[in-house]
Amino acid sequence: MTIIYSRYVEPVLTSEATSGKRSPKPPPRIWHAIDPPFKGYQPAPSEGYQQSSCDTAIVIDNGSSLVRAGWSFDAVPRLSFPPDVARYRDRKYNRTVSYVGYNAYADATTRGQLKNAFEPGTSVVGNWDAMEGLLDQIFVSLGIEGDNGGVGRPVLMTETLANLTYSRKTMSEILFECYSAPSVAYGIDSLFSYKFNRGSSGLIISSANASTQVIPVLNGKPIMSSVSRLNWGGYQGAEYLFKLLRLKYPTFPGKLTDYQAQEYVREHCYVSQDFDREMSGFLDWTGLEDRDRIIQYPFTEHVAIEKSEEELARIAERKREGGRRLQEQAAKMRLEKLVQKEQELEYYRDLQQRIVGQTKKETKRLLDEDEFKDEAQLDKMIKDMEKSVRKARNKDLGIPDNVEEEEVPSFPLLDIPDDQLDEAGLKQKRHQRLLKSGVEARARAKVEKEQERARIAEEQRLDDERRVNDLEGWLESRRASRATLLQKIRDRERQKADLGNRKSLASQMRMKTLANLASDQPGRKRRRGGDDDNFGANDEDWGVYRQVAMGEQSDDEEEEDLDAEMKNVEAQLLKYDPGFSESKTMAAQKDWTKSLMHAFLRGPRPFDSESQQETHQLHLNVERIRVPEVLFQPAIAGLDQAGIVDTAADMIGMSSPQDRNSVLRDIFLTGGNTLFKGFEERLSRELRAVLPIEASMRIRQASDPLLDAWKGAAQWSNESSFKLALVTREEYQEKGSDYLKEHNLGNTAAP
Amino acid sequence: MAPTTPAADDSHQQLLDQLDLILKPRAFRNTRWKPSQRRNKNIKQIVAEAARKEASVMATQDNSGSSTPNIQSSAIETGAATPIHMNGASTKSTISQAAQNLSTMVLERNLQASLSTGPIATYTNIESAPSLHPAHQKHYCDITGLPAPYMDPKSRLRYHNKEVFDVVRSMNQGTAEKYLEARGAHIVLK
Repeated sequence: MTIIYSRYVEPVLTSEATSGKRSPKPPPRIWHAIDPPFKGYQPAPSEGYQQSSCDTAIVIDNGSSLVRAGWSFDAVPRLSFPPDVARYRDRKYNRTVSYVGYNAYADATTRGQLKNAFEPGTSVVGNWDAMEGLLDQIFVSLGIEGDNGGVGRPVLMTETLANLTYSRKTMSEILFECYSAPSVAYGIDSLFSYKFNRGSSGLIISSANASTQVIPVLNGKPIMSSVSRLNWGGYQGAEYLFKLLRLKYPTFPGKLTDYQAQEYVREHCYVSQDFDREMSGFLDWTGLEDRDRIIQYPFTEHVAIEKSEEELARIAERKREGGRRLQEQAAKMRLEKLVQKEQELEYYRDLQQRIVGQTKKETKRLLDEDEFKDEAQLDKMIKDMEKSVRKARNKDLGIPDNVEEEEVPSFPLLDIPDDQLDEAGLKQKRHQRLLKSGVEARARAKVEKEQERARIAEEQRLDDERRVNDLEGWLESRRASRATLLQKIRDRERQKADLGNRKSLASQMRMKTLANLASDQPGRKRRRGGDDDNFGANDEDWGVYRQVAMGEQSDDEEEEDLDAEMKNVEAQLLKYDPGFSESKTMAAQKDWTKSLMHAFLRGPRPFDSESQQETHQLHLNVERIRVPEVLFQPAIAGLDQAGIVDTAADMIGMSSPQDRNSVLRDIFLTGGNTLFKGFEERLSRELRAVLPIEASMRIRQASDPLLDAWKGAAQWSNESSFKLALVTREEYQEKGSDYLKEHNLGNTAAP
Repeated sequence: MAPTTPAADDSHQQLLDQLDLILKPRAFRNTRWKPSQRRNKNIKQIVAEAARKEASVMATQDNSGSSTPNIQSSAIETGAATPIHMNGASTKSTISQAAQNLSTMVLERNLQASLSTGPIATYTNIESAPSLHPAHQKHYCDITGLPAPYMDPKSRLRYHNKEVFDVVRSMNQGTAEKYLEARGAHIVLK
């Protein structure tokens, strides 16, 4: 894929610069997340019941996405609602309540109790309590009075292709026993739809909510022995999208629901005409604006309250005032302390005065009173105090503390041999030695610092010299160091990532070390006899703890270093290397305009993770063609079945030549999942490709892929063949609940 | 949820009462209808039960043929055996025999029917077969859905390019497994 695209992107490095770019672009079109499909209270239409007679059938298209029901004389179904039932015990009123269809979406409580009548992902009824709820709702809404304790009308109901006997049996039981239906018939929805569109021989491709079925029909009779079902429909598509979005935005703050996923599939997905080509260019920048769909979930932006100029000034004034007060207080405290210190100093000076000329004993007594050991200590105390008082005074007056040259202390005692000193002298000598070594160490450090500075300056000078003399070589070395740094940064990132993974080499080494450290008696040591393992004798032994410490805390400073160094090297390269531009820096490489993942997650615009609005957005892009593609390539979603084209082509290939021609002349699409834009074209083109060249093929879509099943059923319920297919109550009682009369629009009886 | 005022609460309750199906008269329902508690079954259960039932019917058919000395009704009809004439007393046993023979007849007829028209379409056997077409072995990136020339041997995820690979490598085991699950390639522990 080589599409050269041009974008107007000036070297963008910071998000501030990119957000400024937004102003010339118009704001993107945003779709909003839909609310639960609650329709409010709808009064039951009752006039239908009065119009009906004992022979008027109640027609129910029992679909897994929407149940549709009406009278056989209706042109369109009167009722249409999802097969959801919320039946629970209301704690407040202590009674059982039951809400059916859209009513079950009335509020959060009812939505929480939602149960679907069908087994998930199939058109087979799985929850019969919910099914009874649906039937109740249908009969109530149709205004059936039930004067004689039953519905009193024949019931025509659709069922799935090759319905399970148990399922039909249970349905019959409910219809006959609970609702006392006089007679019941079943048929297949897609055959009804085909009948309504006046088809007689052809291939029905019905892609509905729970499955996709291919049914060949010859002269109005379905060839049941060669029907086929692909377990993929609108439900699975929505579920797949739901999964993909959950993986795409694992920390999405909004609540994504399945009815929303269904809506997105309906609204935004389409069948790609050339999936591979379109997919590989889907996230390219050209036109991504149009391909990317944004769905906004409700959010609350943290609005910073705008303060007026006046208010701001007032706040600043208040702050200043507070600061001033604090300063004053601090000054006062300082002054108080100073005064106290001065008083103390005065006292000690006085003490010093008093000591002069006293006897030794008296001196000792005076000193002891103030807890001094000897005169020297007193002197030192006075000296220290003088210093601190001076300092404080200077600070108060704002005079900079001029660093007076510290006089080099002398250590006279050190030169006198030990034997010439008494006990106190020895003590003092020791003290002086300590002091001296401290002073010397400081001096040494100072010199070393000087040297280091000189060395760095020298290095810098040499480096500059080298740059001037041999620019190419210098640049080469810089590039090399940049590469090493890059590698180091990558390694560090990998290591960090690896630490989280128990199976990584780094983790395993760490585990090994830990185990070694934890074991009390390593066998090797024991054999040698000694208990002591000499740990710590070598300085490097302690490095073990560095290894054991988990990542973060240990190499924090190093990390800073690497990034800073990188910046430094890159700055140098930028300055001197003509071939190195802004766009090659690491920061620019991380730029979102180059990132495929950014295009995938956030579309063609910058993303501000602080903005509540943007974090509450879903971007649908590749999903728009990825989800419907599963029908053509089920392997994408891990479905181990052949795609719709293969299945249809196999079926056509297996039939006899004359049958094949009549089937090919009418390929009929029905069901809500065929409504994707481009579905018919794609199917037609791909079928064409696998069919013999001379075969003529015609493909058409039902006039209304959603409602034609019901309409066909209603139409049939007025025909004479319907009367023959009805199983009456007497027949039910005599022949059992799994008794079925076969007809051309329904299933065959299982053995 | 925002706190609702009592008045609003009341109107909502009225709406709920309007919607509530239990409060509506449903005279068409049989008041003595007591459904079985265990009628909700999933497809797996139903299919397993059906298979078990079929197997047991087959078994009884075989047994009845070998253990009961009675001559099968069909054999009588076809003239393969002479009918035995029972005298008087045991009418009860004839009825049971007749019932048994009826079920055998039905089974035989069904067997013949299935032999003549081929296998009957059942819910399980109409599933379309796996595809063996090489064109459908294409690989797509598990994360972005773009064509995927590479596979990460560690997580077994397919990926589109270097950048996606970085993402793959930075994700933890659970996430990778979820991606695999979306493609149906995850490991199922049984």
